Amino acid sequence: MWHITKREIYDNLNSLRFALTTVLLLALMVTNAVRHLREHPKRVQRYQDAVTESLNRLTDRADDSFFTLVHHGPGNFYKKPSPLHFCAEGGEPLLSDMVEVEEPDVFATDSEDNVLLEVPWSLSYPDASLQNKSVGPNVSQVDWAFIIGYVLSLLALLFTFDAFSGERERGTLRLILANSVPRHTVLIGKFLGALLSITIPFILAVLVNLLLISTANTVHLTTEAWGRLGIIFCLALLYTSLFLALGLLVSTRVQRSTVSLMVLLLMWVTFVVFMPSTLASIASSFSPAVSFDEVWKQRNPVQEDLSDKYEEWIWSDALDDRTLRGKSDFYTENVERSERWREGRLRYQSAQMHRARAITRISPATLLQHLIEAFAGTGFERYLQFVENTQRYARQFREFIVDTDRGDPESRHIIGVREGMSQKPISPAAVPRFEDTFDLSKDFNNRAMEILLLALFVVVLLSAAYLAFVRAEVF
Amino acid sequence: MMILIRRELLDNLMTFRFAAVLLITLLLVVANTAVLIQDYEQRLESYNGAVRMHDAQLRKAKTYSTMYLFVDRPPNPLSIFNVGLDKRLGNLSGIWHGFVPTLWDAQMHGTDNPFIAFFSAMDIVFVFEVILSLMGLIFAYDAIAGERERGTLRLVLAQPVRRGQILLAKYISAMICLLVPLILSLLCALLLLTRSIPLSTADFLRIAGIVLTSFAYLSLFYLIGLLISATTRRTSTALMIAMFVWGFLILVYPNLIRATVNPGGDVQARTKSAENQIRQIVNEYKRERQKFLEKEGVAGDASRFNEVLGIYTDAHINPVTLSPYLENMSEISEITPDFEQYVPIAKRYYAYVEPLAADAAEKAWFIQKQALDDIFVRQAETDRTLLKLSPVGVYDAATQAWAGTDLSGLRDFFEATRRYRRILIDYFYATDAFSSREWFVADKGAVDWRTLPEFTFARSRIGTNAKRALPDLFLLLICNLALFIGIVLIFIKSEV
Repeated sequence: MWHITKREIYDNLNSLRFALTTVLLLALMVTNAVRHLREHPKRVQRYQDAVTESLNRLTDRADDSFFTLVHHGPGNFYKKPSPLHFCAEGGEPLLSDMVEVEEPDVFATDSEDNVLLEVPWSLSYPDASLQNKSVGPNVSQVDWAFIIGYVLSLLALLFTFDAFSGERERGTLRLILANSVPRHTVLIGKFLGALLSITIPFILAVLVNLLLISTANTVHLTTEAWGRLGIIFCLALLYTSLFLALGLLVSTRVQRSTVSLMVLLLMWVTFVVFMPSTLASIASSFSPAVSFDEVWKQRNPVQEDLSDKYEEWIWSDALDDRTLRGKSDFYTENVERSERWREGRLRYQSAQMHRARAITRISPATLLQHLIEAFAGTGFERYLQFVENTQRYARQFREFIVDTDRGDPESRHIIGVREGMSQKPISPAAVPRFEDTFDLSKDFNNRAMEILLLALFVVVLLSAAYLAFVRAEVF
Repeated sequence: MMILIRRELLDNLMTFRFAAVLLITLLLVVANTAVLIQDYEQRLESYNGAVRMHDAQLRKAKTYSTMYLFVDRPPNPLSIFNVGLDKRLGNLSGIWHGFVPTLWDAQMHGTDNPFIAFFSAMDIVFVFEVILSLMGLIFAYDAIAGERERGTLRLVLAQPVRRGQILLAKYISAMICLLVPLILSLLCALLLLTRSIPLSTADFLRIAGIVLTSFAYLSLFYLIGLLISATTRRTSTALMIAMFVWGFLILVYPNLIRATVNPGGDVQARTKSAENQIRQIVNEYKRERQKFLEKEGVAGDASRFNEVLGIYTDAHINPVTLSPYLENMSEISEITPDFEQYVPIAKRYYAYVEPLAADAAEKAWFIQKQALDDIFVRQAETDRTLLKLSPVGVYDAATQAWAGTDLSGLRDFFEATRRYRRILIDYFYATDAFSSREWFVADKGAVDWRTLPEFTFARSRIGTNAKRALPDLFLLLICNLALFIGIVLIFIKSEV
């Protein structure tokens, strides 16, 4: 078996396709690294500036008074850019990198512009697509996901299309099978040979890429990031094996190598290029989008209802507990309702997105894209994770407010109303801070299914290739 | 010659690849067209809804100063062929005299799920981009190398036919074969289209332009394949090289260019300098307004004057699009008799300030136009030009121009909104609206919106589309010709 593998590798090393593959992969990986080095520091800078500003805001509010902090809330939350952004861009420009803490919503003013009624802060999820003002051509990023998903898979087919049909054409297949080698050994030898000879240029390109990225002092990769890179590399091998197995399968069934390549190409175009978008469009057209006007129509009655319900208290100037509690309830319910409404909308949208993503998983290219996104910490799932983080923090923040208030015996414990709360100053350092995180173990668990699915594809295709090869006649 | 063509034709038609290519093209085009039509109808519905809503909104306003006038951009039916920027850019623009609408200020009516934008739209041209190029190469790779391998090339050349003729025969017959899937799938698409979307004659001409461009694109890839075939000995080598070329031109290069080109110069500095210039204009406008109030003797009392008439003034500059928003709005529903004395001053105020705002916005527009071009357009144009080094870029640009979904096509709409704004201002002058009582208060009769000029927008004429598309189409044709001549030269000099 090793003999066959070695022979395959030597065969390939001197071929034109090997040279072309090496050049192509190197060019792509170098471009990827250069671009990452140019843009990542800017991205990190932007993030840090934004976070500092948001923390400053929180400190200012806490300095001002406890009530200001409760009323205006913490500053906006920002999504931490992943250091592995170069692995998968994951449609980042289409996703918002922040969750907004909305400024208090002015409900009513008197004739002198004094605010009579103001609803405290709430979370909202801005839509990034409105921020996109570019009029340039629509092209995707050259990231690892693209290089592996599209280029490497195509190359894998170019390496295997003539594995058997080519030998059959040249007549060397008879020679091999005339030796006392079992057929499965030949098949596995061929597979390993092709895998190794495509892995060599890929490893070379990856090493150059990582060398460029890790030696630059602007980008810092942690041990965890290296672990993630290792997983992504293994995924790339698994994914390449899938296409190698497909190539072997078709190659055993088809007599002529050119026909085999043609069949493979058409399959590749269908599964990798067309399937993801077509299926997603079909899936998303099942559930119609809610239009902007409808959304506003749903939104408005929410607030009007509430001001009627609490009319008795919200316009009153009295300072008794009942009135204050009524006001507090009004605020709480108002914030709760608008947050629930916004979250519901986000849920609706992401459910639609999840459906589309689930269906496109039939295409291995999308499967790989999702997996790389998950391990690189970018993309849609990451966005949802970030949103969840902010929601958790918001709960924590509100609990902190209640606890702090409870700690003051002079307070009337009516949250949200200036007169009903602790009047003590609060130290900004005591307020919990938001930190966006993502950890590996969680990603791994969530993704195990998809990895297994990918592995299953490989096994099925390999066994199919084996069956086909065992039954194939040599002439 | 005819014999040669017939032989080649039969050779090509009876192959597996022809059947496979035909099937895949048909399937993809039909499936995508069905999806795209549904998408278009949804957008059209949302457009109609937005127009109705904006109409109702306008009628609700009682005074000119609280007018909410919005115009909407209808979706382009030809976006089914090449969606271009039609879906990506804003389709809703506010119109008033103190603001010059630009493409970058536009918003979206009927926001779809923003996440769905993840899955890039698959228009018919995209399917063709991928499939036609592949088809061209697959049909060409063995045209010469295959005959050489089988030894039939000698036989053919032994006949008294010129080598150029052989090539021409091969070219013509392959083109006929390749046109079958192209035309058939287009006919299917058109069948689906005309059933649900009414198309005008001009639209059909535009589609014809797209077909012509597709043909030139297809032929270019066939010739590239032929070139590879003429220079290689073995068919499998030819096919492999062809696939590398295809992968590079279609897949890698278009995505590579954005990665390599540095995003345009110092955008921030450019924005800042333009913003400062515009700020000066806005400040000048504010000073003039203040001067007027002082002259009328209500400046010290300004807050009183403002409060009684409920005047809300705003003059800020959008930091991204650099548009100044100049507003003087009155939010009162009636004027009590004691304050009737302010009405003449208010009339003079609006008659003086509003034209001033319109002029300031226009002055700012001259600076803004240049700056926006530098900030947003120039980079995009560079990208597009670089993209044209690959046939895909040329094809995409040309079909967008035919469909009217390219940048110029969309700018036509904003050109129209700016024209409409001028018409509106002229209308205000003609009806003395600026100095009327209805400008700021509706207690003696609300504004009659029925006489307001209507906004109309028609897509550019077919001639304009052609003018925008022809340079790229000619580029494709010239490449075709050059390649063909090159192949003939190589083939004539090659040995058998």
